[in-house]
Amino acid sequence: MRKIPYLLVAALVAGMICSPLAWSKTRPIKVGINAPITGDNPKVGEGTKFAAEMWLEDVMAAGGIMVGGVRYPVQLVIEDNEYKPESAVKATTKMVIEDEVLVLVGPQASSQAVPAGGVADSYATPMISPWSTNPNTTKDRPYVFRGCFLDPFQGPVVANFIKGEFGFTRAAVLYDVAADYSKGLAEEFKKAWEKINGPGSVVAYESFTTKDTDFSSQLTKIKNSTAEVIFTPQYYSEVALIVPQARDLGWSKPIVGSDSWGSADLVKLCGPACSGLFFSTHYAAAGAAGATKEFIDRYQAKFGYVPDDVGALTWDSLRIVQKAIENTGKLSGKIEQDRKAVRDAMAKIKEFEGITGKMTFTEDGDPIKCAVVVRITESGEFAFHKSVCP
Amino acid sequence: MQTVSQIIPAADKPRRVARVFGHTPFLAWLLGAAAAVLLEHLLGETFAGLVGLSKVPVLFGLMILMSKPLLFPGALLYVAVIYLLPLLCVAGLLTRPANLVAAALLRFGPAFAVIVHLALFYGVLHFWADISGYRELTVKFTLIAVLLTLSLNLINGYMGEFSCSHPGFMALGAYGASTFTLTLFVNNPLFGKALLPGFLGPWLFPLGLVFGGLLASLGALLIAIPSFKTRGDYLAIISLAFLFIVKSLLENLPFLGGPRGMGGQPDYAGLPVVFAWTAMGVWIMNNYVRSTLGKSLNAIRDDEAAAEAMSVDTRHTKMTAFMFAAFWAGVAGGLFAHVMRFINPATFGVQRLAEMLAMVYFGGLNSVYGSIVGAVSLNLLGEALRPLELFKWIFIPLLLILVMIFRPTGLLAFREFDAVRLVRPLDRDSQGGAP
Repeated sequence: MRKIPYLLVAALVAGMICSPLAWSKTRPIKVGINAPITGDNPKVGEGTKFAAEMWLEDVMAAGGIMVGGVRYPVQLVIEDNEYKPESAVKATTKMVIEDEVLVLVGPQASSQAVPAGGVADSYATPMISPWSTNPNTTKDRPYVFRGCFLDPFQGPVVANFIKGEFGFTRAAVLYDVAADYSKGLAEEFKKAWEKINGPGSVVAYESFTTKDTDFSSQLTKIKNSTAEVIFTPQYYSEVALIVPQARDLGWSKPIVGSDSWGSADLVKLCGPACSGLFFSTHYAAAGAAGATKEFIDRYQAKFGYVPDDVGALTWDSLRIVQKAIENTGKLSGKIEQDRKAVRDAMAKIKEFEGITGKMTFTEDGDPIKCAVVVRITESGEFAFHKSVCP
Repeated sequence: MQTVSQIIPAADKPRRVARVFGHTPFLAWLLGAAAAVLLEHLLGETFAGLVGLSKVPVLFGLMILMSKPLLFPGALLYVAVIYLLPLLCVAGLLTRPANLVAAALLRFGPAFAVIVHLALFYGVLHFWADISGYRELTVKFTLIAVLLTLSLNLINGYMGEFSCSHPGFMALGAYGASTFTLTLFVNNPLFGKALLPGFLGPWLFPLGLVFGGLLASLGALLIAIPSFKTRGDYLAIISLAFLFIVKSLLENLPFLGGPRGMGGQPDYAGLPVVFAWTAMGVWIMNNYVRSTLGKSLNAIRDDEAAAEAMSVDTRHTKMTAFMFAAFWAGVAGGLFAHVMRFINPATFGVQRLAEMLAMVYFGGLNSVYGSIVGAVSLNLLGEALRPLELFKWIFIPLLLILVMIFRPTGLLAFREFDAVRLVRPLDRDSQGGAP
């Protein structure tokens, strides 16, 4: 009985000696990943995590990130934000202060990226949100960047595409009034469409609320209007309900969507009703070439499905981060100084060749990049149709 | 004989500990905690390095246990040496003088003694949180959760109704207070130019919180009127409907930001502000439940007809309690909005309701201690179990189920919180010779 305290002390000492930090040499570069692993949208978190793991594998295979002639090992700090704003704020604060990450990637959705961006900016830590389309995420925040185009760009892209492709003059919009993304994009589309076709050319502007599953009353209204096309900026799970319901009601004209359609699950859920439809997005998986194809093939081989845009944008964001760290030229080891250097290097990145297109950051930290319009083929692939650049 | 002599001291040990610390007043424990925090400030970093940690363990090493178990012995040693050792030593050594001081403080009046203790407690908390911004944020959210839990406990515990509208009240408070500060003190796209100079902001911020609270009370009045005649499940349904109404309303009001939410709140909710409001809220709510009004709430819960017969104005009592609880939920919402500096309607949904109910039922019904324990433990657990990701949402509900099985009313239910009793000296002389 007497020996227990001594054993305990011995165990403690042994534990301390064995602890990895007791004999580490070069301080690794820490990259924080803020992803919704649990919560309402776990698929988004999964895509983020998988892309990040693939990136880490690449970097570690090369022996780390080369900065000024020294190879630094890289460590990922992955935190779950539960798809909740306050959890995203806590996770960001934790990674900045406790883990002392050099740079943050994520959160993805705007409802988390807006408050988390505020935290990152106030602690002067560079952050890049791969997927957030809300302008407030980066606005007046020098340390916050994003990896995708914004709604004010995507809205006109879709409007111009419909005009150019079909020559229609009257459109209908069906959107979720409770989702910030859908509502924002619906408004941008309406503005752009009425600019092209004159006021009143959006003949039906119908809304519903998140988790609604029956859209027949809105679709009947749209059908009875003079609309020639429906634009619905919804998530894939809702699209898979809206499109078949529209077809059942006898709507045979086109339905067009936005980047939120771009999930591997869309075709699985929607079936043949969705084939032949168009949507705008960040990249086209089918018929991709070069680095994009390489990424898709590797991802598919490793995780068993074609990556959706979250995965591709996260991959690009991480490579931007890598490039920015390399471009600093030297890491001082003082975290505040290095964060500033990385931020400055990131702002200076020009013509970055990403798998989702070429990117150059504006003053606000938003990239100038092209959008892609894809067509859902009969076999369920997202085939490149055309590219629209600003 | 030898075996007997060995057994006796062993059995005597707890009694000996009780003899040493049984008379240690709250003041001495606070001083001990102050010593521990001071030691952490002076030596924390160095000692953490010595035991193989790269940083001071942020939440008593709980996070290290989950993420890097190899480092846990070091964290354990850190907690023992930096926190426990000074706490026990100083509390033990200062037992006698602290008793004298506590008695002297009480001579100036109980309120004075309580305020001195509270100030000391804040000092300890402040220096502890000062080490890391993450600690500070966790403390802030925890304090707000205490306020929310206690205000919900007023209805679900003391009044015995099942109300689901609390996130709605919180949302009203959050949007009310945010609208107040954003309109008056900040240039922003939603409300245009600031109407008053910015330096007034921190001073008028309490008004904004009260405004938010009153807005929530108004909401409570609106739902109290149609639900006078309902109890139990029916009130739950009506209050749940209220929650959805508030959420949809906020989603459909474009001038409040709609589903995109409202951001850019000024940074007025520092730790002192949040602490002051929480302390005030707990104090006022505690006085409320110990008053005649509070006791009549309990009477209504136990038997409404009997209470009515015994001259309790049930309608008036229920309405007051409902609006009072909503006020504090609104204040908590206002604080929450200014800590987060961003709010959107989705934050105040059913998930938030589940969290709040969990804190109330975990901590204990009808109890201020219970609300504090529930809010603090679930908040700390939520942070400590972060590295577990998905399993966190299996572990915490499992814990809740276990608590519900073994303590159906929560950990510390039906306790009275008496601040004066808490701060009194504990030695024999001041207790009039009683052991």
